[in-house]
Amino acid sequence: MDVSSATFTEHMTKPPPSDVDLFADDVLLDPSPVHAELRDMGPVVHLSKSDVYALTRYDVIREALADWESFSSASIAFNPAANEALTGTSLASDPPVHTALRAALTENLSPRALRGLKGRIEAKADALVTELVREGSFEAVDALARAFPLEVVADLIGFTGHVRDNMLRWGQAAMQVLGPMNQRTAENFPVAGELYAWCSEVTADDLAEGSVGRGIFDAEARGTIPEGTAGHIIHQYLGAGVDTTIAAIGNIVALLAAHPDQLDRVRAAPSLVPAAFNEVLRYWPPVNVWGRVTTRDVEIEGFVVPAGAQIAVLLGAGNRDPRHYENPDAFLVERNPVDHLSFGYGPHGCAGQGLARLEAHAVIEALSRHVKRLVVGPEVRVPGNITRSIEELPVLEVVPA
Amino acid sequence: MRIVLDRARCEGHGLCEETAPQLMHLDDDAELVLDREEVGEADAALARAAARVCPVAALRVE
Repeated sequence: MDVSSATFTEHMTKPPPSDVDLFADDVLLDPSPVHAELRDMGPVVHLSKSDVYALTRYDVIREALADWESFSSASIAFNPAANEALTGTSLASDPPVHTALRAALTENLSPRALRGLKGRIEAKADALVTELVREGSFEAVDALARAFPLEVVADLIGFTGHVRDNMLRWGQAAMQVLGPMNQRTAENFPVAGELYAWCSEVTADDLAEGSVGRGIFDAEARGTIPEGTAGHIIHQYLGAGVDTTIAAIGNIVALLAAHPDQLDRVRAAPSLVPAAFNEVLRYWPPVNVWGRVTTRDVEIEGFVVPAGAQIAVLLGAGNRDPRHYENPDAFLVERNPVDHLSFGYGPHGCAGQGLARLEAHAVIEALSRHVKRLVVGPEVRVPGNITRSIEELPVLEVVPA
Repeated sequence: MRIVLDRARCEGHGLCEETAPQLMHLDDDAELVLDREEVGEADAALARAAARVCPVAALRVE
């Protein structure tokens, strides 16, 4: 892809148009068929109803995510109010401003900062899975996919009391409001506002001593991060790290239950745990669509996208691009797709991916150690603007290992 | 051919080490150390794979 400014626009072609609505209920519930349709039309497709340009193929997506100069993060959301609310956060900034904000965000969240937590997280996952296996049947989303990351993140940030109770609904709302101004977005703005208000007022004393959250305030007091940014960082931990991790862990249970042969492979070779998580993320990304805005006319494989265009980066479509992954619609843990797009890529690559890996690897390890087979009932899904997750997943029977 | 590390971007995710332990490793402080910066044709593919897997684009091969 040549993303240099398109000088000879008269020779270039407009991207093919489509009237697909990425945020329609049926598309959110099952995006893969629509992703395949758009990917076949071209590397970039103009969604004419919403005037959004969708990037559909692996190479184009990865290059756009790396190219912050052409694809700005000033419009990661699909409505102006959310973008305005995010102004000044690392999520919505571009270098050079982004660089310092990102460093403040990752100081306590990078894999090197989290190394000390590995043992505790693994022990927690093992205890939880052991108990669920003993019970023999359970609702996997509430009992595992939500319970585990909520506990890990609450302890990490040092949340106590009512904040802990609100983490789930605040985290869900923070993602919902990034969609276009549809009913889901409108309904969730007041809830996201509660989170925003709380993060504006939170002080070090509200967070448990010795927690990472308290450490962020200490960094602010020391001057390591700019004054007034600690609350923003807590906001991002909650807004970006709760709903997505819950989705990923629910997907782990559902996919290993649906593919017992793949669970067998992980059980036989525990070194496949990271590969299995990569494949879960590739196959069912927690986030299928993310926004950017073009800073100039950009040429994408012969098509021109004008300056100032809202971009929809279809991470899920790139993950299933047959130009990049052989047999992309098959779930195969040995594929180990290390370069999947589900964490994004480049300067804005998911800042919490180290923590997500710690949690998910611990869950897959525990499941593969204690479970031979999971018999599940039908999964329940509720459409969400940004996060695609399972709402309920009944595990009817556990065949213990 | 040379491996170039943008240290300001590196967050120590360690995926490069998993891909190319012959060329680089995280030290005890989880800082990335390039054991070999100059690589020949034989290791070019490995070096490129390590750069490719970096989730924050902190490595490149030139």
